[in-house]
Amino acid sequence: MPFVKLGPVVALAASLIAGSAQHSAAAAVDPGTQLLRQAMDAPRAVSYVGQLETVRFSSNRANATIVRIWHLAPSMTRRWYLAPEALYNDYIITRGSSSYQFDTKRSELKISHNPVLDDQVAAEDSLNRVLTNFRASVARGEIVAGRQTTSLILVNKYTGERVMRLWLDTKTHLVLKKEEYHGNGAVASETRFEELRYTSAIPAAMFSTETPSGFVQVAGRDYAMPSADIDRVIHEAGFTPIKPTNLPQGFALISGDATTVNGVRTLHLTYSDGLRTLSLFENATGAAADFGALRPQTVQFEGHDAQYVEDGPTTLLTWKEHGLYFALVGDLLRTELVEIAKSVVL
Amino acid sequence: MSEHLNNPLLIDYLRRELPPEDDALVLAHLEKCSACRREYEVEVSLSDALRAAAAREELEFPSMIAARVWEEIRNAKPSPIAQLAAFFRPAIAVPLVAAAALAAFFFATPFGQHGIAPTINAAYYLEAHAALQAQNPLDERGPAAAQFIEIAAQDTSTSTALADDVNLGLAAPAAFDAVR
Repeated sequence: MPFVKLGPVVALAASLIAGSAQHSAAAAVDPGTQLLRQAMDAPRAVSYVGQLETVRFSSNRANATIVRIWHLAPSMTRRWYLAPEALYNDYIITRGSSSYQFDTKRSELKISHNPVLDDQVAAEDSLNRVLTNFRASVARGEIVAGRQTTSLILVNKYTGERVMRLWLDTKTHLVLKKEEYHGNGAVASETRFEELRYTSAIPAAMFSTETPSGFVQVAGRDYAMPSADIDRVIHEAGFTPIKPTNLPQGFALISGDATTVNGVRTLHLTYSDGLRTLSLFENATGAAADFGALRPQTVQFEGHDAQYVEDGPTTLLTWKEHGLYFALVGDLLRTELVEIAKSVVL
Repeated sequence: MSEHLNNPLLIDYLRRELPPEDDALVLAHLEKCSACRREYEVEVSLSDALRAAAAREELEFPSMIAARVWEEIRNAKPSPIAQLAAFFRPAIAVPLVAAAALAAFFFATPFGQHGIAPTINAAYYLEAHAALQAQNPLDERGPAAAQFIEIAAQDTSTSTALADDVNLGLAAPAAFDAVR
């Protein structure tokens, strides 16, 4: 069955799940599914102040961040960076789909808009994909940031691999700790609240987006809302793309976007299994990737010299084929990216 | 709890990893037992020292500012001389780049039609991907992802390792069952 024909099947499965969810009042919902839904809804319901520590692992190093968070439900968040050193004292205020990035070292305020940040439909779709592809089982929790938690283990239904473990606050269902795993079982990232206090008594000034004195306001990136109408997006791209025929099981094409980058018409196709996202970029203008200060490695497959680089657990592979330039990005292992790339060039 | 507390128990208490009932017992014991309290304070000092050491290591993380400067330099396509000057004299990099960009605009454009092919910054791919990943409510990176990418882009100290090169010739991971 060609990959492209999977879309309707996945959509049908998702709609069946969504339909059955509407009858949840009467039907029994398994505890894992219910907890997962509550975990995804929690940030829109609970306000808190806390300190979050994250470590993201790549193959040869780890990046750690420590962030002080003030969150006022449903959608206002201030993140103040304590580490790494390069971000110390910088802060980002998110209000719905708008982000205000205060760079205290450059005295610069960058404003960006990303509609998916506040897209409840997309979030619901994401949950349905998770429920389609993963089994959620409840496990014994532990004390995290002084709070009793319940643990939720997400296992890939097709491979039996554990892909994520969550520790949810027993009372509020907020995710207090999270571990993500690669396909080979290695930890990809770890996130944990070190301090947490539930309160909605957060001064409004904490979420002020006024430009501070001496700061310069600059325009950030305005992301377009990706479209589920792939045919239209491909038409807008102006060239015939090649799609992968081999993806990790559970992944499906969910959206696309055609945009102009540095004068180059670029198609961005997005695949997801609900937890992980895979991006395939294509252009027909001969525009290769400029890695700048990044130091890519050459990877050879099927007679191609591809360039590979890591950003924490996020991996990027670029190559050229039949006059098209490809860039594949995902939280996947390099071997997984190469397997997908092979199915693009065939 | 009349016995003295052992080290593993004190460490678990320090990390708030004990069940509530044990946590309460340890607290009560510490209030009464000066010997255990001293031991506990030693553990606290050790933890602080480790945190301080870790904080010192974090100084090795690269600077986001330099990453942005380099990105501007690359986008402006300055002359090799300007690049060299910027490399040796960061303080004048931005003015040089601006001058080079102006020169390129006024003098080089008519001849650039058959020149260098356009490129797309790899950071763009990573940022656009991260922006979409942010729609997942369980993703904690959110809007800050771009900043992390800038840091990674600036770090030239280590190249991406290919520790599992030997896997290239092996069978695909189990997750890859061809869909066709």
